[in-house]
Amino acid sequence: MSNPGTEPLLKIDDLHVSVGGQQVLRGLTLAVNAGEVHAIMGPNGSGKSTLAHVLAGRPGYQITRGSVRYQGSDLLALPPEERARAGVFLGFQYPVEIPGVNNAYLLKTALNAQRRQRDLPDIDAFDFLALVRERMKLMQIDESFLARGVNEGFSGGEKKRNEILQMLILEPRLALLDETDSGLDIDALKVVARGVNSLRSPERAIVLVTHYQRLLDHIVPDQVHVLVRGRMVRSGDRSLALELEKRGYDWVLEQAVA
Amino acid sequence: MTLRERALQELQRQPMRSAGMVAQTAQLLDQHGLPQPRDEYWRNANLRAFEQVTQFLPPAHSSAVTSLPAPLPGFQRLVFVDGRRAAQLSDAAALQLLADPAAWPAPADDQGYRDDQRFALLNALFGSDGAQLQLRQDAAVELLFIASGAAGSSYPRLAVQLADGVQARLVERHLGAPAAGGFICTQTRVELQRNARLDHYRLQDCDASALWMDTLFARLDAHAHYDVRLLGVGAATARCSAEVVLSGAQAELTWRSMAALDARQVGDTLLRVRHEAPGTRTSQLFRGIAVGQARIGFDADVRVSAAAAGTRVSQSLRGLIEGAESGINLRPRLTIHTDDIQASHGATTGQLDENLLFYLLSRGLDVATARALLKWAFLGDVLSAIEIPELRREAERAAAGHLSDQLLDGALS
Repeated sequence: MSNPGTEPLLKIDDLHVSVGGQQVLRGLTLAVNAGEVHAIMGPNGSGKSTLAHVLAGRPGYQITRGSVRYQGSDLLALPPEERARAGVFLGFQYPVEIPGVNNAYLLKTALNAQRRQRDLPDIDAFDFLALVRERMKLMQIDESFLARGVNEGFSGGEKKRNEILQMLILEPRLALLDETDSGLDIDALKVVARGVNSLRSPERAIVLVTHYQRLLDHIVPDQVHVLVRGRMVRSGDRSLALELEKRGYDWVLEQAVA
Repeated sequence: MTLRERALQELQRQPMRSAGMVAQTAQLLDQHGLPQPRDEYWRNANLRAFEQVTQFLPPAHSSAVTSLPAPLPGFQRLVFVDGRRAAQLSDAAALQLLADPAAWPAPADDQGYRDDQRFALLNALFGSDGAQLQLRQDAAVELLFIASGAAGSSYPRLAVQLADGVQARLVERHLGAPAAGGFICTQTRVELQRNARLDHYRLQDCDASALWMDTLFARLDAHAHYDVRLLGVGAATARCSAEVVLSGAQAELTWRSMAALDARQVGDTLLRVRHEAPGTRTSQLFRGIAVGQARIGFDADVRVSAAAAGTRVSQSLRGLIEGAESGINLRPRLTIHTDDIQASHGATTGQLDENLLFYLLSRGLDVATARALLKWAFLGDVLSAIEIPELRREAERAAAGHLSDQLLDGALS
């Protein structure tokens, strides 16, 4: 990655994406600076999750037009693992279960992959355990989860907390959190929000994909965007989310059509 | 000339067993014949490989065996080379456990030599030694069956009988390479008396040129528990024909096996289980990965008699295909003659789940590591069941070799 200079950490221009011949993103443009938290809201099917997955490099999407620059370089040219090692993290809406592979192994392997990218030695086993224990405490995850299969038998809330735990261990520069709040009760939501907020820093950006305003009560965004039919139709500050909460999406849809 | 005629001709050249024994076995061969590719449970087997056998007789003299795996802590070791005991490589105390080779019973026309167990007849004809263990107290025994590479075939045999209440751990490993044109034909017989428990680990990691034909017959009395973990990674062609009879009430079989094959390897298993008494239990689990042009088969045939009320059966068979030319054929079968039964079964074959792969890539793992990890996880149900760390390590190393993967220490939950 080149030196970003004054360029935003993430810069998306006129992005067009289709899946199975169906156009999902239709000219999406967005700029996210380091240090900022952006919330992307929108009705079902508007393309929010597609955007997150395209940025993380999931196969199966056809990018038909537009560009995505991250830290000054072409993000779309990188395979998913290189994006991750460059600091892009996707928190999944539906984290997969991988029975048989223990959590600790995945965390350590992922962390070391990133360290090697930065020419750092693999983390010492003792240091790793200390790091994981500290972050698990923050996320209120029992240590016994380390030896369990990745997300195997976890409740919905535990899976989401495990996603944030991974994020806290990997310390990405760009975190894309896809509906991290879905399926969480209010206590779990607070825990997840605490984890996300602990990662806020001037070097880092967070993009929250969410359907509801309630997450933004706990993670206050710098900017809120409304995505409708694959295009950003409105941007604003946190008050936009509150207005959406009060009025729903219909008025934005009407304006978008108009 | 038929295989039977060839076999008997060789025996006449170099008599190894009594004339009566040969005549009795030959009569059984005449009566039942050897399996054919069209036979129901031999369609996955590579019987053509068997036609390439040029010498049925074992080597007159074995080649020297220069390296053996490290002994397993807490186990007494017995080593057999080309089917014959190697006293100098075995623990002296363990040798005391063995019965006189001459005491090996002649094959009788019971289920251990009929139907799909007929290759055991060749073992009976040509085998001259074997591990015959009658255990009256708890024990841990490690058996190494080595094919030395000397000209000829190898006939490993094992007979285990556990007395009432005895608990034993048995590790049986098949290693090495027969000479070109030779093969390895094993026979294992297990008898568990009331309340006995046998943890039986079987690792087949023969040379990639080997033809391994394995026959296992087990009978369980009331409340006995037979726990089998079979790991097959070696040989060009490997076939296991197993039959387990749960003849006593509450007898239980736990069967976990895996095959990890590559190149043009062919490996198949027939596991027949007969529930003949009330309250009996069977749990079967198979995981197979076929890479390259490898072919894997697993037939699970469970029959529950009218006398076996209260039986429970579970079957979980899964295959993973890596490579357009590889193939896996899984067949769970359940024949039930009682209304009082709980049964579940599933058989699936597919490729690596792209969603899981992307998840790992999105965490920065490289493609090779991510794929290896998922294959590892796939085999985890079987590998994790190996409770002897040294053996588990060896099994993991062997599996990794055939999957062309790195060994992922500590990956399994």
